Amino acid sequence: MEKIRVENLTKIFGKHPHKALEELKKGKNREEIFNQTHHTVGIGGVSFSVFEGETFVIMGLSGSGKSTLIRCLNLLNKPTDGKIFVDDENILDYDKKRLRQFRQDKIAMVFQHFGLFSHRTVLENVQFGLEVKGMEKEERRTKSLEMLKAVGLEGWEDHMISALSGGMKQRVGLARALANEPEIILMDEPFSALDPLIRRDMHTELLDLQAKLRKTIIFITHDVNEAFKLGDRIAVLKDGEMVQIGTPEEILENPANEYITNFIEDIDRSRVIKAENIMRRRVLKIGRNTSAKIALEILTDSDFDHGFVTDRENNRIHGVVDADDLLRAIKEKLSIEAVMHTNFVAVREDTYVKEILEIASETKYPVAVINEQGQYVGRIQRAALLKSLV
Amino acid sequence: MTIRHSKGIFLFFVLVLMVFMITACTQEAAPEASQTEGEEPVAEEPEQEEPEELETIIFGDAGWDSLRLHNEIAGFILNHGYGYEYDVIPGSTPNILEGIVKGDVTVLMEMWQDNIPIYPEYREEGKVIELGTNFDDNAQGLYVPRYVIEGDPERGIEASAPDLKHVEDLKNYADLFPDPEDPGMGLIVNGPPSWAVTTIMEVKGAHYGLDEMYNISGSGTEAALAASLTAAYERGEPWVGYYWEPTWITGKYDLVLLEEAPYDDDLWNEESGYACEFKPSDITIAINPEFSEKHPVVTEFLTNYETSSALTAVGLAYMQDNEAEIDEAAQWFIKEYEDLWKDWVTTEAHEKVMAALQ
Amino acid sequence: MNQFPDIYDLNAGDYVEDFVKWLTTDHMAVFDSIRDGILAFLLRMQSIISFIPWFVVIGLVFFAGWRLKGVKSGLFYTAMLLTIGFLGYWNDTLLTISVVLTAVIISLLIGIPFGILSANYKKMDNIVRPVLDAMQTMPSFVYLIPAIMLFGLGMVPAVFATTIYALPPVIRLTTLAINSVSRDMIEAAESFGPTAWQALIKVELPQAMPTIMAGVNQTTMMAMAMVVVSSMIGAKGLGYSVLIAINRTDIAMGFEAGISIVFLAIIIDRLTQSIGDRFKYEE
Repeated sequence: MEKIRVENLTKIFGKHPHKALEELKKGKNREEIFNQTHHTVGIGGVSFSVFEGETFVIMGLSGSGKSTLIRCLNLLNKPTDGKIFVDDENILDYDKKRLRQFRQDKIAMVFQHFGLFSHRTVLENVQFGLEVKGMEKEERRTKSLEMLKAVGLEGWEDHMISALSGGMKQRVGLARALANEPEIILMDEPFSALDPLIRRDMHTELLDLQAKLRKTIIFITHDVNEAFKLGDRIAVLKDGEMVQIGTPEEILENPANEYITNFIEDIDRSRVIKAENIMRRRVLKIGRNTSAKIALEILTDSDFDHGFVTDRENNRIHGVVDADDLLRAIKEKLSIEAVMHTNFVAVREDTYVKEILEIASETKYPVAVINEQGQYVGRIQRAALLKSLV
Repeated sequence: MTIRHSKGIFLFFVLVLMVFMITACTQEAAPEASQTEGEEPVAEEPEQEEPEELETIIFGDAGWDSLRLHNEIAGFILNHGYGYEYDVIPGSTPNILEGIVKGDVTVLMEMWQDNIPIYPEYREEGKVIELGTNFDDNAQGLYVPRYVIEGDPERGIEASAPDLKHVEDLKNYADLFPDPEDPGMGLIVNGPPSWAVTTIMEVKGAHYGLDEMYNISGSGTEAALAASLTAAYERGEPWVGYYWEPTWITGKYDLVLLEEAPYDDDLWNEESGYACEFKPSDITIAINPEFSEKHPVVTEFLTNYETSSALTAVGLAYMQDNEAEIDEAAQWFIKEYEDLWKDWVTTEAHEKVMAALQ
Repeated sequence: MNQFPDIYDLNAGDYVEDFVKWLTTDHMAVFDSIRDGILAFLLRMQSIISFIPWFVVIGLVFFAGWRLKGVKSGLFYTAMLLTIGFLGYWNDTLLTISVVLTAVIISLLIGIPFGILSANYKKMDNIVRPVLDAMQTMPSFVYLIPAIMLFGLGMVPAVFATTIYALPPVIRLTTLAINSVSRDMIEAAESFGPTAWQALIKVELPQAMPTIMAGVNQTTMMAMAMVVVSSMIGAKGLGYSVLIAINRTDIAMGFEAGISIVFLAIIIDRLTQSIGDRFKYEE
């Protein structure tokens, strides 16, 4: 379901943004407008939708307008033009009071430099949003403690912010945002100020939390790997314009232009591409009760060396055979089950290539791909595995 | 933002500095100009013993207008009659007195000796020289605005203390002059703490028993004293306090001096509580001894210099009425009272001054 | 050539004079009530201060110095107060404190809200800044006399004049303090949808507090600097003694009263400064 819909959003910085807007609408580009009017086009006509419960990553280099864009979503920046629908209400029509309510109830933000209040303790920081809402003292304390526990900061509630490490600070920032129980969380490069090891922990933590909470998250980053790791969908922003929006795989497989290609060049594909992206679907199934002769025909008709033996009823894999095995079965009049090998490897659809690579080295057979119910859905040839990395 | 702002301030200061420099140049140039106007008096003065060494005469300005007026009158005559340059330096009376002793200040045209306890001592020691009496028909004491006693139908003020005549009568009117800072007490505004008269007024107050129902409070400065009286007068409120004449205030506002016993030398001491009116004190002219010796012309002129309180008040009134500057008033005074000062100077100087007035 | 041309005689001052006269005569009631208000406050303050026995005052100052800075400072302040007492200026000191304290409190009551408004409204700031410059550079005697015209002689005009002189730093530093609260924090606060008041009370003011306290400190020091000047319009206290001493060229008295002012200023300065330090937080 569509949670946020942004239509033709434009943000221009300067004294008379609407004059510059006219120029922009005439089709002039960022540079021309700057030279002519000394106005900076932060965002120039961007449209996209974010679905409920997804993590939508907006990726771009510095100066691409990504921070400007995310700040438009809770109106910390007032857009110059365009519409932002949240649950089908245009938030640009909100008056002050309604906007406050929107920020209190629906949307929260996590900041790159944490934005924590140095005059407050950890607990008081987490409570801030609840205080603003006017929640009772006891209730907000209970709730904040709960949130601190959720981000792994139990026992730190009475410390001052200055006593925390960077990673802990951002956990407080996250807890503060979550405490308000928002439907949408805006995250503006939340982990870029942290060192790489801690960043990885935070990624895991965020993925775990998100698996439980299913919030609508808009996540800003300049780090491609982070984007591909966290994003259900990714939008690439360049010079205030959207270059491409899609799932990580879509972008990897069909980069919209050279810019994107360069962008994703140094990405670690094995961490992005999953089994389902490179498998061949439901090809060459050999029923466990099929006669070896028919099975051999099926196998030789295909361009594969191996065939997976499955149960016709529940589609589970029992083993793997090659032509030699089947010939032996025919010659010795054995059933397929008697000659098949059971030391094959099966992975779930959403397994990353990186992990498959590790397992695949243990077997000489193709890797079978199964779904959540354990049913056979596809197979990955070793060659395809290697090809996916380049 | 801050940088731009401080740049603005900097420019502003540069501008102010430039204005100051220009003003300074103007002031330096001005006396030269007036010297040439004086028809090269230096060369034409054969009687002058040391013609090329004319020191600038520095008048002390202790802060009141009658003194300023006398400074300008004397200055104008000495400048145009004898070719002396003159300057005025501001300061409190005690500081000016110290200045005269040291030679930084040349003359004080109004030495209110009763107010400066150390003056007689200096005079005895010869540290300053008293040249003569400027005027002696002055008065001081406790004043109230006339409307307090008689009312002022024109301003709609009723007489609030019709029986107030003598200082001792004040006992009955403490309620009329309340001290806002001390509820239940009256307030007599005293002179500035530096003046000897301020202590005398306190002793008087105690002697008359006024200190039981009045705070006799010093006013900090003369300006504060004047402002206090002005504010009360403009509002038509009762006010009682120390004042003296001649001043533009006593000229402008209708004040009544409260009576005391006639002056008596035997009563005029602290033990007797100064229980009489002020001796009309001689307002004298004090000069630096060295200068006086070196410049007999000046000494002679200032010894002759004698006006009166009434005359001074006329000059001050001219100033108030015509919104004139001090120097304008001084020139008017010189023109108007030619007969008065004609005898103080040489015939030649008289002619030159009259010429300069044209 | 160097003379400024005497073409037009601008009498700007006359208008001001007329204005002040108009205020004194036609709007007496307003200023009388202001005067009565300030005076009531002053007298209350004075009676409280003079009600406390001297040793309790010294004890309190010692305690404050000890808790805020350390035992040494506490002892140091105690020694200074005792010196003032032995010099015979205890009562004068109390009078001075009540005038200074009243002026400081009025300055803060006016200055902090003004500073906050100036920080939030650029236009207001543009007006306030030059006014503050004028207040600080205008020689105090220029407004001392109107102060007497409006409020009479004594402590009230002294409080008025002191306030005019002491007000600018607290306004300036409050504006500066609010303006320099970290953008990140303000954004973070904003993102939770607080009212302007909530954002001010919960985030901006606490964050601005160290700088505002520096302003309070400066304001107090400026007020102390006005002690002698305000005695020129009849305010009693240490300044009056200095004034008498200056006018009588009494070096001994001048020194004693002067050093009492210095001691008092040091104590107030150090104490307000360390109160300010309490509000500093590490990032």
